[in-house]
Amino acid sequence: MTAADPPALHCRGIRVTYGEVTALADLDIAFARGAIHAVVGQNGAGKTTFARVAAGLVRPDAGSLAIDGRALRLGRVAGARAAGVELVHQSFALPPSFTVAEALEFGAGGGIGVYSRRRLLKRCRERLAALDLDVDPRRRIRDLPVEVQQGVEIARALVTDARLLILDEPTAVLPPAGIEALFERIRSLKRHGVTVILILHKIREVMAVADTISVLRGGRLVAGPIPRERADEASVAEMIVGQAAVGPVSADDTQALVGAAPVRGVATHRVPVAASPEAGETVLQLADVNTAKDPEEPPLDRVSLLVRPGEVVGVAGVQGNSQRTLVKAIAGLADVTGGDIYLNGRRASRTSAANRRALGLRVIPFERNSEGLSLTSALWENWSVRELLQQPLFSFVDPAALRRRCDEALETWGVRYASATQNAGALSGGNAQKVILAREIDDDARLIIAAQPARGLDIGATAFVWSALREAAGRGCGVLLISSDLDELFDVSHRLVVMLSGRIVAEFVPPYDIAAVGRAMTGAST
Amino acid sequence: MSGISIRAGAVIRTLAFIVLALALCGVVFELAGYSALLMLESVVEGAFLRAGGWAQSLRWALPLFITATGVAISFRCGFFNIGAQGQFYVGAICAAFVADVLGGAPAALVLPATFLAGMAGGALWALWPGYLRLRSGTDEVITTLMGNFIAALVLVYVTSGPLKDPSGTGQQAASPLLPAVYRISDSQGISPAIIGIAAAVALAMWVLVNRTPFGMLASLAGRNPTMVRFQGARLWTLGLSSFLISGGLAGLAGTIELLGPTGRIASGFLPGHGFTAVLIALVANLSVVATAVVSMLFGGLASAALYLPILAGLPAAAIDIFNASVALFITAKSGLLDRLLRAARLPT
Repeated sequence: MTAADPPALHCRGIRVTYGEVTALADLDIAFARGAIHAVVGQNGAGKTTFARVAAGLVRPDAGSLAIDGRALRLGRVAGARAAGVELVHQSFALPPSFTVAEALEFGAGGGIGVYSRRRLLKRCRERLAALDLDVDPRRRIRDLPVEVQQGVEIARALVTDARLLILDEPTAVLPPAGIEALFERIRSLKRHGVTVILILHKIREVMAVADTISVLRGGRLVAGPIPRERADEASVAEMIVGQAAVGPVSADDTQALVGAAPVRGVATHRVPVAASPEAGETVLQLADVNTAKDPEEPPLDRVSLLVRPGEVVGVAGVQGNSQRTLVKAIAGLADVTGGDIYLNGRRASRTSAANRRALGLRVIPFERNSEGLSLTSALWENWSVRELLQQPLFSFVDPAALRRRCDEALETWGVRYASATQNAGALSGGNAQKVILAREIDDDARLIIAAQPARGLDIGATAFVWSALREAAGRGCGVLLISSDLDELFDVSHRLVVMLSGRIVAEFVPPYDIAAVGRAMTGAST
Repeated sequence: MSGISIRAGAVIRTLAFIVLALALCGVVFELAGYSALLMLESVVEGAFLRAGGWAQSLRWALPLFITATGVAISFRCGFFNIGAQGQFYVGAICAAFVADVLGGAPAALVLPATFLAGMAGGALWALWPGYLRLRSGTDEVITTLMGNFIAALVLVYVTSGPLKDPSGTGQQAASPLLPAVYRISDSQGISPAIIGIAAAVALAMWVLVNRTPFGMLASLAGRNPTMVRFQGARLWTLGLSSFLISGGLAGLAGTIELLGPTGRIASGFLPGHGFTAVLIALVANLSVVATAVVSMLFGGLASAALYLPILAGLPAAAIDIFNASVALFITAKSGLLDRLLRAARLPT
């Protein structure tokens, strides 16, 4: 490649605003052809917006785009496609009920025609073989493991002979082994002359695969594209986080937040002395718990688990391996068909969800906006639910006092809000999560189940959530942290179990070995 | 306080809907060759300005208010119990049976028993759709709507069979007129007793909605049942209670009609009562205070309906056009208009 070659993608002065929020502020950036480029930044830095602008899904307010030196009409998917730009979304966009062959053809366009099933299958096999993807084209998308689904998604993007492939957070859904396979696939694409832009937020992954690194923060380009040889992890981490957010975040957390920690022997925070787990005493014990069949996830299969006071136990696993059922079983919302659940030493298998709450169970659920909050209800109502449920249904309460206490609690937790009477839906993700924390982490809490508590939060809010969980553990609470982010689990957990298809297949203690955990997550070690 | 400004906005919006509905009616009347202005005048005069107008409006407004607050409770909890009409009928039927069986006993015994029977009957008619909804997810809109028809037919049977007035002319099947000792008002339909009952209901419902865990949790459950379940609430209890309360109140309104203005039950009496109550609850945005105000408006319309033929030369049914256009705008509020408002604000 010579300096005279026009860049594969050239953005000039791209600006995108959503209402009052500026997602991209005059972004100027150029990516050279035939290389793997990483675009990194924390949540809300504008990475996804950038990808959507390039793919024609979002029309910027200002600026221009050029592919291989030719100007592109903005905000047109068809135009971007014709120029050879394809985007693989963060959450998959393939129709789950389609077969692999149908899904590939779905993206091909190409007018009206009569399909011969045999020819379709043949063409499809060729495409999959070209990507080293070993999957039967007649299988349905929904039956495939995530990493294969993603492979099919990439194959679909390449059906139209894309020359610039953009992958938005492709590693978020993958186990460690799947990530390695994805990177191998990307390198092979590069050898075939495809330019790849990877949207990522973990430095370790960036260093493993990218040729250049560009850092976005607050919708602006902080630096880049920097050749990988000239980038070092620490300085990139600093660029991602920025000066403002660094203050209260510890060095270990910063490393974990940007995925810069070394892969082997991650140092975890020391267990506070006050919280040294006392042998025998438990806040949560599951003994051979089974649940009924469920169309969404495999049922729990003889799950046994122990959480002691002051202990943070991590639950690792690829999404969809019954972590949701585990939360529901403990919270009293699943159909438990066998085994026993003890909360705070008391048998709770047959008690109602309300009684489990009374025993000190608190849940930070997976879905902040549907399971955690009622977005169309006032903040004080959302905050008061737990207290309201502890009183008889037909007794007298004083809403003014509740609003006052809600104000106090939200201030203690540093929630940024205008008034306790505003709707919860008006808060940002981080603030909304803090409202849930303010409600769930109280003095009577004995066991806190935190399911993906930092998902979608920016670095400052993530660090806040982690320290809140650590503090709760320091006061003697047990914490069950369920996450698919190994950096988060390694940084916060004292102990780690791995879930696979409804079973607990392995247990780890620090220093964690990411390769071993990854093998357990995919079933390679059992 | 943003809470107050939100509320003010809702009030203004609701008023705008009523004005729009009036304007639409005006257009319809003008097209049909009647004077819209004259109609408006006669409605206002019929409802409030003429001698005894207020009392007549209250006669219709108070039972409507009682039924409508009940409807609002189940709507708040997220259950669309639109069977107020049937619950009103079954309440009245049960009350009429008890009054008939106990006939001759002192009023101090008969009245409480009749009221209890009426409320229990209404609650019962809401219980089965509620049970089916919570037990197996049966759509309560369908079951309560069907319940209305069943109840109306039961009313025909009861008034032309077991409780038939032997002296009736046969034109309209009806039960015998209750003796004056058991009546809580004359046929004008307004008395301290009825006002007292309505006031007690208003107070009780306001406290229930705004000052008890039940009311607050029911509203939360109506907006997001999943979240309330994750907090450990029993939707079963909240939901069934709200069905029972709303049915019981419709039954209470039926009992008031029996013991008050109507004095008997007749087949097909007050056919639009429950539906108007649903409309009132929606216009009032499910708030107890607003329900009282809006009930007064619709009570006024109901009383003016009888006055329209005299002044404007319009059939009494002309009021139904107004009710229908309000319903139209209220449904537009939760659907089309909101979508337009949202589209205007967010360029996504």
